[in-house]
Amino acid sequence: MEAARRAGRGEQVVSNAGGVVEAVEEEENRDVSEKGRRQGRKRAPALDGVLQPVKLSRADLYKPPTNEELSQLKETENLFHSSLLRLQIEELLKEVRLKEKKKQRIDAFLHEINTLLSTVPETPEADITDQTWLPKHVRVPLLQVPFGVKGKFRFLPPAAVKVVGSYLLGTCIKPDINVDVAVMMPREIFQDKDHLNQRYHRKRALYLAHIAQHLSKKQLFGSIKFAYADSNHLKPVLLLRPQGKDEKLVTVRLYACPASGFFKPSRFHPSKNNVRLAWFLEQAAPGEGATELPTPHYNNSFLCDTVLESHLLFLSGVAADFPGMRDGVALLKVWLHQRELDKGLGGFSGFVASMLVAYLLTKHKISRMMSGYQVLRNVLQFLATTDLSVAGISLSKGADGSLPTLADFQQAFEVVFVDPSGLVNLCADMTASTYKQVQFEAKHSMDVLDDKTVDGFQLLLMTTKPLLRTFDHVFYLKPVSKLQGACKKMQLLNELMDRGGNYVATALPFMTSLLARGLGERVLLLTHSLPQTQEWPIDADPPKHKDIGHLSFGLLFAPEFAASVLERGPEADQPEAADFRQFWGEKSELRRFQDGAICEAVVWQASTLAQKRLIPEHIVRHLLQLHAGIPESSICYTGAVLESVIKTRREPAGTGEEAMVGVIRSYDDLSRKLWKLEGLLLTVTAVQGTHPALRYTDVFPPAPMKPDYAYHERNKEKDSLLPLADKPCPAYIPPMKVICHMEGSGQWPQDKEAIKRIKAAFHLQLAELLSQQHHFLCRPTASHTDVYKDGYVFRLQVAYHREPQILKEVVTPEGMLKYRDTEESQQLELETLHLPYLTSCLHGLQQQHPAFSGTCRLAKRWISAQMLSDGLSEECVDLLVASLFLHAAPFTPPSSPQVGFLRFLHLLTTFDWKNAPLIVNLNSELKDADYTEIKNEFVASRADLPVMFISTPRDQRSSVWTKERPSAQILQRLLVLAQASLRALEEQLLNPLGSQDVKVAFRPPLDFYDVLIHLNPKQIPRHLEGVDRPAKSFIRGMLKSDAPVKTLSFPVVDYDPVQCYLQELREAFDDFALFFYDKYGGVVIGVLWKPSSFEPQPFKVSNMKGRMMAARGNAPVTVPNVEAILEDFEVLGEGLVRAGLRLQIELLRLDEKHKRGPTLLVGMRSYSSGNP
Amino acid sequence: MAAPAEKHVTVAAAPPGYTAVPVRLRARQRAPHYLYVKEHRVQCSADPARPPGRTLLVLNVPPYCPQECLSRLFSRCGAVQSVQVCEKPGPGESAEVLESKFFNLRRILGFRVAYVVFKNPSRVQAAISLSPHEPLLMSSESCPVKTGILKWISCYAASLVNPEELKAEVDTFMQAYDQKVAEEEAKAVEEEGVPDEEGWVKVTRKGRRPGLPRTEAANLRALEREKRKKARKELLNFYAWQHRETKREHIAQLRKKFEEDKQRIALMQAQRKFRPY
Repeated sequence: MEAARRAGRGEQVVSNAGGVVEAVEEEENRDVSEKGRRQGRKRAPALDGVLQPVKLSRADLYKPPTNEELSQLKETENLFHSSLLRLQIEELLKEVRLKEKKKQRIDAFLHEINTLLSTVPETPEADITDQTWLPKHVRVPLLQVPFGVKGKFRFLPPAAVKVVGSYLLGTCIKPDINVDVAVMMPREIFQDKDHLNQRYHRKRALYLAHIAQHLSKKQLFGSIKFAYADSNHLKPVLLLRPQGKDEKLVTVRLYACPASGFFKPSRFHPSKNNVRLAWFLEQAAPGEGATELPTPHYNNSFLCDTVLESHLLFLSGVAADFPGMRDGVALLKVWLHQRELDKGLGGFSGFVASMLVAYLLTKHKISRMMSGYQVLRNVLQFLATTDLSVAGISLSKGADGSLPTLADFQQAFEVVFVDPSGLVNLCADMTASTYKQVQFEAKHSMDVLDDKTVDGFQLLLMTTKPLLRTFDHVFYLKPVSKLQGACKKMQLLNELMDRGGNYVATALPFMTSLLARGLGERVLLLTHSLPQTQEWPIDADPPKHKDIGHLSFGLLFAPEFAASVLERGPEADQPEAADFRQFWGEKSELRRFQDGAICEAVVWQASTLAQKRLIPEHIVRHLLQLHAGIPESSICYTGAVLESVIKTRREPAGTGEEAMVGVIRSYDDLSRKLWKLEGLLLTVTAVQGTHPALRYTDVFPPAPMKPDYAYHERNKEKDSLLPLADKPCPAYIPPMKVICHMEGSGQWPQDKEAIKRIKAAFHLQLAELLSQQHHFLCRPTASHTDVYKDGYVFRLQVAYHREPQILKEVVTPEGMLKYRDTEESQQLELETLHLPYLTSCLHGLQQQHPAFSGTCRLAKRWISAQMLSDGLSEECVDLLVASLFLHAAPFTPPSSPQVGFLRFLHLLTTFDWKNAPLIVNLNSELKDADYTEIKNEFVASRADLPVMFISTPRDQRSSVWTKERPSAQILQRLLVLAQASLRALEEQLLNPLGSQDVKVAFRPPLDFYDVLIHLNPKQIPRHLEGVDRPAKSFIRGMLKSDAPVKTLSFPVVDYDPVQCYLQELREAFDDFALFFYDKYGGVVIGVLWKPSSFEPQPFKVSNMKGRMMAARGNAPVTVPNVEAILEDFEVLGEGLVRAGLRLQIELLRLDEKHKRGPTLLVGMRSYSSGNP
Repeated sequence: MAAPAEKHVTVAAAPPGYTAVPVRLRARQRAPHYLYVKEHRVQCSADPARPPGRTLLVLNVPPYCPQECLSRLFSRCGAVQSVQVCEKPGPGESAEVLESKFFNLRRILGFRVAYVVFKNPSRVQAAISLSPHEPLLMSSESCPVKTGILKWISCYAASLVNPEELKAEVDTFMQAYDQKVAEEEAKAVEEEGVPDEEGWVKVTRKGRRPGLPRTEAANLRALEREKRKKARKELLNFYAWQHRETKREHIAQLRKKFEEDKQRIALMQAQRKFRPY
């Protein structure tokens, strides 16, 4: 064991050889001189990428501090969480901030634009609808529906050109540097009723089109394009990018806005109407008596244009001598970007964030002394505690009677945040559910920031939260044009008019509120993606509403309610009952409940947990069909598409949770019986199951089995069945290990050999008593007793609590008794101490998080499908998955196996195994101080620890489950595969129209192996568990569990020929090759040669295993006898390896492999020549 | 590497002093394994199981070749007295572990070495000069070598235990063990308080005045107790220098943390960890 570990590490060292040498040199430098030491320390981490323990001399540590240093340390303590956080934030800001040099280049570019704009020629006056003066290659950047409007347009040079927005405030951040430039359209352009019926919008679009036409003639720009500001289709802007290598540097956005003072603000109150229905419907005359309903969104978008400059002035007033604001807003923008909240229609843009900071400053919740981190914290705190969709806020100070009140705004908009002028709602397009998401994230982020055990910076600012990995269930709406029908069905004509015909934006708030009501307390959060439009070239037509692609929705479940099958409504005679019936349609029915009430209720048919997890899907589909007329075919729901790989064939056809409950019930019964067993010499003090099924993490839980005698040979003498060679291999019955702790007593011998005998005696006695008192079939051996009960086989193993201690005893020559870990004692501790603890912890975890089981089993299934299941222990995977639930930040603990599995893959690929321990705080037993201690010890002794280090409360230092496995190479391969699988899966899941064959991630690439050994399915007992399940398999000698037969002979237990074969292969050819196999029904064993053993070696008596002599020059050397070894593969697996081996063992030559692309395994070269 | 031309040469290459004997399981297999044999010679041979002159050392015995099969293979050179199979060449384990059918089962895995002892010394030379034209067959009609499914089934059958036998074995062992313990105790009682020839008396846990147990844990406990006693007596923040010391310590801690953080940041910078997207 030790040797293997060392060997594994040895290879790791080889791969890092450069780094190690450096480290040694560094050690020497340290002794040589002070200067050298300094350099060494600074250089080391960058070179080999591994943290070294910091060593400071006493003189360095205790020298008297300077004033400067003291103040620095104090500031760090006061203004930041810790010095690490401060440094991290500084580095991040450095990364996203615009450099001074680049600013100069941008300024020069802006200057040129300014001069160009003043030279744009005038045009003669024409009707707005007469656009013939515009050349063919420039299209109007606005959807002109309906086309006809009154009014005349002519172009006049801008009255003013001003830079507005974040660029001047210094809050704009990379990678998309945008500079907003407001181009004031002179008053002369406008006519009296231009605020009506999009006339102003048409003029603005024409104005931009003309500018675009003029600028396109100049050679100054790399690209000239149109886009919608904030994806709002009523607000086109002109994008200008510089030429050459600066093209990616900056995008200048030209906003056309009206000269101030032309339009009266009072016309645009949220309660006023500015779009006439008759015009919108293209009816000739307005319907008599029809009152025109208010158009708040239209009005608001109009007003936005008029206040661009005043907003800038306001913000620059706030930002003056407030350096923390610049940092804070930049951090907020990063935070929003990571949550996909900042872009698209109705997003929480950086501008809103700046305004929010300004608001908090005016309310004295932020002071000008604060650091960027504190600004971030306070804003998050405010967001977390304030619901703007219920009570809006306003920056306006004046109590002017002419201004609309907050209540007016509240009535017209879902989210209200009024600007300083008191006229504009900054969050007009935001839906309540988007704000709820912001609020939820803020709340969650505050928790993360307050948690000292995690790296808040990393989680909040550096981790992206894509929709797929954040939400438990995700569904897509495609095509979105179906929403047009939905608008009609929901009677949203007026809203549609208000939004200028954008049916997506119109329908969204209504759909989300519909779903929110339907899903009720099942969901914690329901969100939708923000509709986004792309920019387009000036000679193309503007994108239509349907061009946003698809709309995605995410659901975050409350685990305790998500799977409930009943929706209880009001009592039948209540007035709300009709409402309930109308809401649920024909799904609603009258039911009598146990308390006697007769209520309206909706009951969803679901018998297994797998089906219950799909209830939200049924609700979504039903409600959208019923109320919005969206057919099922346009909803692509991805919630449980991955679960097919862990589905069991047996009834009920769930994903195995029910089967495991059955196992656990039987086990509980057994343990009760063990406690009460009469006639045992010592009593049983504890019974602890350790099989994965007893902690809900067995991929395919054992099923009750009843053997059919016809398929077995019967050994009468030992009351057991034996497999028959010519019949298919019997179905695999796993023995479930149960540890029986016996009472301590002075009678126990204190000698390890004697203890073994006593334990054997107990096994015999247990078997005897169990069969006497409970009539179980029992089969004792020296190391355990197998019990056949309810069709399961339990393997009882007696444990004595002092045995590990006794195994550790070493007596020194001086007669001192010492305790030293030995291989045997560690193994025993693992089995009787660590594993039962883990099992009970994870059993508890499953009760809290019902998705744990599914996630863990998907993860194990995937690892096994990649043929790596023998490369790392099951417990290690259990812990990895447990960490996803216990330390979910910045996400919430997964509530569906799918999202859990995606995060598992993501964890594998992103975790820095070299420099960080994975701490899994089972039962929250670890405290803050423990975390630091574990981390420090980890850094101090990194080289001696396993490549994958997992620390748990009862195993803080040694990572028992990853000690032997995985090796550095296996881990590396696992990470590479995880990355590839994650990419493939996300591609599949993000593509709502694709065929969604998610099993691609579960099919391993076979061309990676040197030799493939194909197996005969007849002898693979778990053949049916394969990823691509065979249509039919063999009869495996098992009766139905309800067959009226009494089993008198012990069934065949733990007999899997493939595992026997693998074991023999590994024992015999460990030096030459690695063997890979999917233990759940794989039909192929992959063999990878170890290149090192193929180097010719000098003859050594002790090293002639499987090798032969070869003449190489003068000296006799030995090489592997490849031919014979290949035949040995066949010999060892006689009956299992498919006949005609020569055809079945495929030899893949290296040159062939090269054509297919690079091999994935780092540090493992393929064996190149010498193949026949 | 194994050049294709080499495999059909009847007399295969062998390291100096050894003879290569090609073997294969059945006639069906085409590529043979080579047993490398030579006379077993050790300078100070005291092992009675491997008498000098009569013992043959066999290297590279395939994993599926059982002991009986080896003795059959070499019986063509002369009567074989015994065959000993080990994991690697070297002195045999003289102190044999208790032979038991149920406990401490050891299996030798993979390729092995064997010591074949002939009845007649001259036979060793015959074995060394063995150079069959055809590879020898390990499995024959009369005693077939079981591999694959057949072997695993028979292994499974063999793993079934007869409870009676197990019980009998446990009982005999425990009787012997109890007897041994009883004897030791009796001896200890006898020696209790009796000085040895130099006059030393052995203090045990059993006597009237039991001493401290001589274990590492007990030693540690005693040390710990001492430390606690000292800590109780100490006065904290009593003298001015103690105040100074704590402050200095605090700054030193902060400095150390700062250095660590700086290192961490440098590492992250190197890994470009500050690119948010």
